[in-house]
Amino acid sequence: MPFRQFLSWLQNLFGSRQSFSLGLYGNVNAGKSTLANRISKDWSGEEMSTVSEVPHETREVIKKERLAVRVDGKILTMNLLDMPGIATKVDYRDFIKRGMKLPDAQKRAKEATKGIIEAIKWLEHVDAAMLVMDACEDPYTQVNITILGNLEARKIPVIIVANKIDKKNAKADRIRAAFPQHPLVEISALKGDNMDQLYRAIAQYAKG
Amino acid sequence: MGIEIQFIAAEKLKDKTPPQKVAFILDQVKKSKNRILVIEGSLSSTDEKELIAKTMGEVNKNFPGIEVASLGEQSSTLKTQLIKLLGGKSSGLTVVGPSTLVKQIKRDPDKLSLLTGK
Repeated sequence: MPFRQFLSWLQNLFGSRQSFSLGLYGNVNAGKSTLANRISKDWSGEEMSTVSEVPHETREVIKKERLAVRVDGKILTMNLLDMPGIATKVDYRDFIKRGMKLPDAQKRAKEATKGIIEAIKWLEHVDAAMLVMDACEDPYTQVNITILGNLEARKIPVIIVANKIDKKNAKADRIRAAFPQHPLVEISALKGDNMDQLYRAIAQYAKG
Repeated sequence: MGIEIQFIAAEKLKDKTPPQKVAFILDQVKKSKNRILVIEGSLSSTDEKELIAKTMGEVNKNFPGIEVASLGEQSSTLKTQLIKLLGGKSSGLTVVGPSTLVKQIKRDPDKLSLLTGK
């Protein structure tokens, strides 16, 4: 987009931008909100999202603005955006199977579809993205491929986050082999493993 | 009832704008609960994004969504543009079906496997 390029050129001309928006994208239940909470708690002392085993817990974009992250003595100021998980289907019956009542399940499904549309719209507005993948799952999902394709088309920097490496059946190498064109960091957002590596990657790749 | 597999030539979509293309695909998928579309050519990542967004806008109790997967080159590169300019066809295919029928599409880099069931 010419305006975006012009803005980027201006920012480069007058020094790096004051803050940047970093979107957390991925399939449903990849651990985006757990990661958002980990980052937010590390740098502001408080969590920002609600986490649940039930899919589509995050049904609207949750923002933590002007989060100051210190990496190797430098401070990055970012607006962290916890996106609803993207899916190609939302079936209220899946929520009923998880014990929800019919009206609640239908409401959750409706909100989830709106959240997915909102997350998709944000693909055009983030400055950088972390694509969070569950290292125990097959990385070749259409959602991952579509998200990456759209970010690549807009030349938006992407860090792939192989999450849940604390689990026995985690296979981060499978993700690395699937998407070798992007930097990858293996973490456990739940346990806090390798978060320093992730912050360095954000400083190196996401901060334009 | 059996499964209907509908093959759609790239020619059918080539003059459509991205919203028209997405509307056509979704319309075809929703017309029958037993229909799987196999489209010649891969959808661009923008088309896929629009398809997911439009699908989400149409989800209801009878239509919970789709399963979709594309194989082949998704970005418009100089090579693919040149092939089209010379009258050739770019490679790839796209499979789309209602999620009530297509339970899962497993992808290898060069292979798609569909798991269907009611």
